[in-house]
Amino acid sequence: MNIKVDQLSLHFENHKALEDITFEINEKKLYGLLGRNGAGKTSLLSIIASFREPTSGSVTINGEVPFENAKIMQHVAFLYDKDYKDESDNIKELLQGIQRYRPNFDMQYAEYLIQQFKLDTKKPINKFSKGMQSAVNVVVGLASRTPITIFDEVYLGMDAPARDIFYKELLKDQENHPRIIILSTHLVSEMDYLFDEVIFINKGKILLQEDYDSLLSKGATITGDRDLVETFVQSKMQLNEEQLGHTKSVMIYGELTNQERKMAMEQGLEVGPISLQDLFIHLTEEENIDEKLS
Amino acid sequence: MKNFPKVARDMFWAQMIWTFGFLGVMFIINIVKIVINLVRGTEADGYYASVLIASNIFMIIIGLLAIYFLPYYVENGVTRKDYFKGALLASVGLSLAIPIITAIISIVEQFIVTTLLNINFRGIDIINEVVSDVDGNIIGDLVLSVILTPYVDPGSNWILAIGVFSLQLFIFYLIGWFISASFYRFGTVTGLLFILVAIMINLLKDYFLRISLGLPLSDRFSTLDSLPQGVTVLGLLLLIVFTVWIIRLLTRKVAIKM
Repeated sequence: MNIKVDQLSLHFENHKALEDITFEINEKKLYGLLGRNGAGKTSLLSIIASFREPTSGSVTINGEVPFENAKIMQHVAFLYDKDYKDESDNIKELLQGIQRYRPNFDMQYAEYLIQQFKLDTKKPINKFSKGMQSAVNVVVGLASRTPITIFDEVYLGMDAPARDIFYKELLKDQENHPRIIILSTHLVSEMDYLFDEVIFINKGKILLQEDYDSLLSKGATITGDRDLVETFVQSKMQLNEEQLGHTKSVMIYGELTNQERKMAMEQGLEVGPISLQDLFIHLTEEENIDEKLS
Repeated sequence: MKNFPKVARDMFWAQMIWTFGFLGVMFIINIVKIVINLVRGTEADGYYASVLIASNIFMIIIGLLAIYFLPYYVENGVTRKDYFKGALLASVGLSLAIPIITAIISIVEQFIVTTLLNINFRGIDIINEVVSDVDGNIIGDLVLSVILTPYVDPGSNWILAIGVFSLQLFIFYLIGWFISASFYRFGTVTGLLFILVAIMINLLKDYFLRISLGLPLSDRFSTLDSLPQGVTVLGLLLLIVFTVWIIRLLTRKVAIKM
């Protein structure tokens, strides 16, 4: 499957949720969609999942518009922080209903997941705690085995052990049944190891889309004597700086050449890695960041 | 692979479970009434008559709930179109099933009550006459059009009786669905306007049906009495098509609420 988003915009009466978004997703990988609150993550995902139509631009999946397209829609699952207050079915009944509409649904696997999350199969879902309802979403999303599976902040309310089960099962099932999985989150530090590829979205625009490893190799912290560090980073895009006495540490964005690395070493500067979380925080807080990146 | 037959089946059974609950409660009420009448030695209302009156309101209510199946289906990868077709088929099924089940129960009941217990059921032809006693009050018309709908005695022509019963139920379901779809699509303020349209649909249905069946009409619309039956039957048909069409327009591209 392939998702192609082309010049997509979504406008509401008084604000622009998405503005001219273009990107492509082609491989059966885990994609992290990262953005701050209100960045437009859910808006974007809800268009891919045919929950709504865009104002302009297009989404195509395998070359076809997914909206009201039965062939495509059955292969796209969108799990979000759903309100289950009216769901009086228990989880087994819920899954039996869903199974009828998802061609790849695996009930045995669903039952295994229910055990992992220790969900009560007799209890109506609206009596579940918030975290357990989130686990229901995870079970539905994973067991549906849809070629495109979207988890939008689906872990909300889950405690740390439950989240850990989610991440483990996600990786395990992705290995056995590879598909396109999009994880939207702002729990970056906790989930970064899951991503094969990362998409940053900020104020309704795509900031960057990059392979996780190559993205990390683009950022660095340069630490050392204040004056030396300042000269070294002069030509670089600086994300953040900290200073303690004469020692300064600057986070930069942009690949370092071998020559530059060598020079840093010769000057006694320390070149350290940067975490996805740091990149996320500092890239999304900058003003006019898209101009700087391009 | 088409999804709408599956949707139709699933929605039919989900709503049939509610229907069994409703018919069951009506049955218990009816038994209690019969016992009371047995003690007093008076005439009792039959099951058919009781359900005939209450089921209209029941259908409006489940019609109002019909919109809540829409997000469920879209979330599970079913198109709005398949939902619409499936829900429509299910509502036709329900509208047929309720009168048939009711008729069967009431035949059995009548047999037991009249032959074994020896009490008579009250005739309910009065339903059709009441309308001429209400003089030109729109609220009165409205209330009547919901609770005292045009009625055909199953004893005289049971196919027509069940047909008219089914038709009423179907239109009441559509009215409920129409209102909830407008609220889902436009929110409260515009939704209220759609309630006005729904009331008009209901009143028109009542008048068309009364003329088609040659039943008494309230004074307000007595001028319409001269309309030939062919026209009113066609009017009834167009009314249904219009309502169904608006429901489709309201749900065709609607954004799913999250």
